[in-house]
Amino acid sequence: MSSEPLAPNTGPARKRRAGVSRSDKIGAVFVLPGQLLMTFIVLFPAIVAIYIGFTEWTPINGTTFWSAYKNWHWFSGYTEAFTSREFWDATWRTVLITVVCTVAEGILGFALAMLLVKDFKGRGLVMVYFLLPMMVVPAVSGFIFQMLFQVDGPINGLLSFIVPGDVKLQWLSDPSLAIWGVMIADIWQWTPLMFLIFLSGLVALPEDQMNAARILGAGFFPQFTRLIIPMMRPILLIAVIIRAMEVFKLFDPVYVMTQGGPGTATQNLSIYFYRLTNVSGRWGYACAVALLVLIALSIVAKQAIKPIERAQNESMEELMAAGADEAPAERIEDAIDAEARA
Amino acid sequence: MKTALRAGAIAIYGAVFGFPLYWVITMAFKPKVEENPPGITVWYPHAPTLKNFKDVLGISDPGASIFAQQDFSALTPLKNSFLAAGGGTLLALVVGVFAAYGIARFRAGGSQLPFQILQLRMFPPAAVVIPLYFMFVYLHLWNTLEGLIIIYGAVTFPFVVWLMRSFFQDVPREISEAAIVDGCTQWGAFFKAVLPMVKGGLAATALFVFILNWSDYLIVLVMTQDKWTTAPLFLSTMSGGAGGQEYAHQAALAVLLILPPAILGLSIQKYLVRGLTFGAIKR
Repeated sequence: MSSEPLAPNTGPARKRRAGVSRSDKIGAVFVLPGQLLMTFIVLFPAIVAIYIGFTEWTPINGTTFWSAYKNWHWFSGYTEAFTSREFWDATWRTVLITVVCTVAEGILGFALAMLLVKDFKGRGLVMVYFLLPMMVVPAVSGFIFQMLFQVDGPINGLLSFIVPGDVKLQWLSDPSLAIWGVMIADIWQWTPLMFLIFLSGLVALPEDQMNAARILGAGFFPQFTRLIIPMMRPILLIAVIIRAMEVFKLFDPVYVMTQGGPGTATQNLSIYFYRLTNVSGRWGYACAVALLVLIALSIVAKQAIKPIERAQNESMEELMAAGADEAPAERIEDAIDAEARA
Repeated sequence: MKTALRAGAIAIYGAVFGFPLYWVITMAFKPKVEENPPGITVWYPHAPTLKNFKDVLGISDPGASIFAQQDFSALTPLKNSFLAAGGGTLLALVVGVFAAYGIARFRAGGSQLPFQILQLRMFPPAAVVIPLYFMFVYLHLWNTLEGLIIIYGAVTFPFVVWLMRSFFQDVPREISEAAIVDGCTQWGAFFKAVLPMVKGGLAATALFVFILNWSDYLIVLVMTQDKWTTAPLFLSTMSGGAGGQEYAHQAALAVLLILPPAILGLSIQKYLVRGLTFGAIKR
């Protein structure tokens, strides 16, 4: 469009003109199988879910799903969801589990990463040891904690050594304890993930800056708050997003340990969906609720993916430089000032 | 002093995080009487035995079903796990690697496509399987191996796209351009020049996806019944005669289930961070 001379590589304008339609076509061929698979697995189910969501359909009385229109009730499922105590309880429980687990895993993982950042003999082996919980099939970790949390089980046994008397906590059958049991299992399994991500960030911290701060007299705490945390910020953010996203979907270990019980004490959204269909047989209502949650999530997801996408195009060093908004020299000065004030 | 403190802290961490694994591994070797005696905690197997493994794999008595409500030993579900996870991985790779290259190299589908793809991974599978269930019953894919493979492939496909895209982005454009100048077609350039450069990443992605599929519980819970049960589901439904506990047998199967991902996971340690962050953190 412009009258600029056709110098090589003058940005997007040139690319758009030169043979782009052809490379567009090739690109389209490459992504076609993926798009077909996505359509198959998303489009059809989405249409069915919208349709069934307007009905009170259940397979229990033998009607096929295409005759669900016989039980048509428009938005009743949606209005029921908004006023359903059980749905909101499940939602807030999911949020609670997500926040507690993500924060606990983040803190524990960061502390462990700080402990292991300095090299020592056998560090590689110690690292492998700490990564193991992450490799356990989640349903199996549910089974492991089901064993551990028995009334006569080893966790009460260990507590009996520490606390006077015979500890007989009903970990999984006491409604107020069960949710903690479920969260402990998740924290055990996924702290290693946080640890691994943070460690990869900590070892990549620019050594010259850390050394400079130390030599110029900044103690551990100012170094930590003024240097390490700002530079680690983008990495912290990505780790938290990824972990929160997974905890939100949590199902397997919870289902194995408590099936959402006792009562509804550990019923998060995933368990709620499962129980609606496979226990209560309320497929129509389940579709309506699922759609509501998916719509809400897709708004959140859009924001959550951005930092991940941005990071994909950057190296670790760029990531860290972007996290701290000051120049390295200012940061070091800051750390020293903070030390002097303390 | 400082070193001792650090070592002490690491040891405490290690003891706490190691204990659940210690318990399941030792449980797998405990004879029936030490499994869960009321009122006592058996801290280590006093008379270790391999019987649990033999029972679970049907070695002691191939014909018999030792678990209530099960017609077979854990061998069938283990085989199912391998077939379904392997098939799903293959499907996700074939479809995902092409898509990743299309997106990384040609920006195919526009800037929104990668978002849409990753969004799929953010949805709780418990919600997504509800309508999928109808569809699969309707298409006669419910409780079939093909059905499982298709879902596993579709569920892990976004993961392949994002991870492989990050690997393709590391390959300079000039590589494929040079191959085309040398007379390759776009396909030839992809297979002969680009793909060999991401071999390591491709292998890591494959193992990652296999572990993800191997770990599934929810999908198989909704989408199958006895015949195509996979090992994690089988484990959670194992129970003795009159609803008695089968901890030792379950633990033996649990150990068998942990082994493949542990070995595969540690063999791709180099790519672990990258894989777990969808390619966001490259290390």
